[in-house]
Amino acid sequence: MSLFPVARDATAAKRAPASALPPPSGCWRLAWQWPGSGEASLLISRRSALANAGLLLALLVASGVYLALGSVHLAPRALVAALVGQGDALAQFMVIELRLPRLVAAWLTGAAFAVAGCLMQTLARNRLATPGIIGIDNGATAFAVASLVGLGVSLAPPAMALAGAATAAAITFGLTAGGGSRGYRFIVAGIGVGAVFGAITQLLLARVDMDTANAAYPWTVGTLNARPPGALLVLGVGLAVGVVMALQLSRALSLMRFSEAIAQGLGSRVARRRWQVLGVSVLLTGLAVAVAGPVGMVGLIGPEIARALSCRRGVPIIASMLAGALVMVLADLVGRVLLAPIELPVGIVTAVVGGPWLLWILLRPHRSLA
Amino acid sequence: MSEAAETGALEARRLDLAHGQQRVIEALDLRLPPGRVTAIVGPNGCGKSTLLAGLARLHAPGGGCVLLDGTDIQRLPARELARRLALLPQEAIAPEGLTVRDLIRFGRQPHQGFLRQWSRQDHLAVEAALAAADLLALAERPLEALSGGQRQRAWIAMTIAQQTPLLLLDEPTSALDLGHQLEVFELVRRLAGEGRTLAMVLHDLASACRYADQLVAMRDGRIVAEGAPHEVVTRELVGELYDIDCTLMHDPVTGTPLLTNLRRLS
Repeated sequence: MSLFPVARDATAAKRAPASALPPPSGCWRLAWQWPGSGEASLLISRRSALANAGLLLALLVASGVYLALGSVHLAPRALVAALVGQGDALAQFMVIELRLPRLVAAWLTGAAFAVAGCLMQTLARNRLATPGIIGIDNGATAFAVASLVGLGVSLAPPAMALAGAATAAAITFGLTAGGGSRGYRFIVAGIGVGAVFGAITQLLLARVDMDTANAAYPWTVGTLNARPPGALLVLGVGLAVGVVMALQLSRALSLMRFSEAIAQGLGSRVARRRWQVLGVSVLLTGLAVAVAGPVGMVGLIGPEIARALSCRRGVPIIASMLAGALVMVLADLVGRVLLAPIELPVGIVTAVVGGPWLLWILLRPHRSLA
Repeated sequence: MSEAAETGALEARRLDLAHGQQRVIEALDLRLPPGRVTAIVGPNGCGKSTLLAGLARLHAPGGGCVLLDGTDIQRLPARELARRLALLPQEAIAPEGLTVRDLIRFGRQPHQGFLRQWSRQDHLAVEAALAAADLLALAERPLEALSGGQRQRAWIAMTIAQQTPLLLLDEPTSALDLGHQLEVFELVRRLAGEGRTLAMVLHDLASACRYADQLVAMRDGRIVAEGAPHEVVTRELVGELYDIDCTLMHDPVTGTPLLTNLRRLS
């Protein structure tokens, strides 16, 4: 190493034997030797690990309740029996054929929206900069609806939604010209872009007949009812890829929370990393909208819960994923059960919960939005 | 790392830097003497911060080059550059809720990787940086709870933990009161005493004279004087830099140049 630390290294080494390297407080350190190439080490925040475990447990419990409740309530024992393919045939059909696919859709869309939100918030260093708020959801929706109402484009909804998400993101970034992914200018431009795409969606629906418009209605509010299985499969693959990429970017993401010159000074290739983070966020948003429509509020609420629970040093990708899935499962559960037999679309439930949440973020005493 | 070659010798050769279309610095030559403190001074808008950013590769040069130990910094990988050159920019924003030690740990980023997240060297470097910046007692405090001088020392400690032979500081004492400025300058002198090369942009000519070994005076993107403070600071230079007439004296205690009887030249 360089010249100065050598002397200190020697004295400190006397104090602490090699086996007893203290990890930073609140962390576990795992270390092992690669044959021939020195030591490898992982640092795991205790608080984040606990948060992830807690969120996973909550998600499992909520999922159990989600499967048990509905037009017919099942006791825990009957639910388990139905899941393993025993007992009442009707219960089996209800759980396996109706509720389980919908539960999986809630997991995947919630996770995707929340991770996308967390990435975009970090990129813009602003908690309001979620894909839902800066118009990416609306772009994806407009394109998907365009394909449904027959504008002569015959691409599948995931491809259309992805194209819409990318278009909206490109316009927003284009309007704020390069360096402008920071601060309110970016958000305001995004809100404008979102409003235009929202209007385009309405326009498309207004000029088709009632039946087609009804068929496209779920796209405008966001729902998990009877979603296309193809799009769900695509989302599953996309989510796996997106989360792995986000985890690989996690070190760069934690530097993005600093001012740009600091991140660059610490060896981050900021410009390249920004494009990658934006790309993953757009991918996840587009694919999730193709399944559930614009349920963007999850992208605000999920990361917010994740950040409150996790270690402050890092960007909570896994916790966002779990919290997003949890929020989506709970919101859809409420939507199905609260006014049964009338079903509330999940997008409306999250908007009712998320609206006040958004106001609270905007109106509470000023803190850094990062 | 090849150890013998890395002394942190930084040199700009015919360097051009621009802000968008506007040329700020043209064909500038500069060499930072190794193991010394260089202060870059000049009036507002003279290009001194731009120069520092150029030296740290925050701006790509329009022409010319910056050589670090003889290698063009444009050709160094980002992380390697960050292991050889540390920068503290003027606008330093940290995420909410970090403690002093958390912040300093980020200085180890260029030495770490996905499967090298916390090594013995990281631990030692962070403890050494805490000690060097006299922050051991404040290590677990949140940054928001520190005074301005303490916070600035924490930022400098982060760059110390990078363990680079070369440190560039952009106005490290602006917005600090006299006592806090002193904290920072004393730290800078200690670091130079350990053999590091430092360069800092300063507003205050008097502190530059007092704490720097080498002065680089700039105006309109050019270097107008360069050398030891007592050699280059003259009444004419002060006039040329700031449009100010003054009486030049020598500090009776330190012998460094002292300006008094300041009047604006019309």
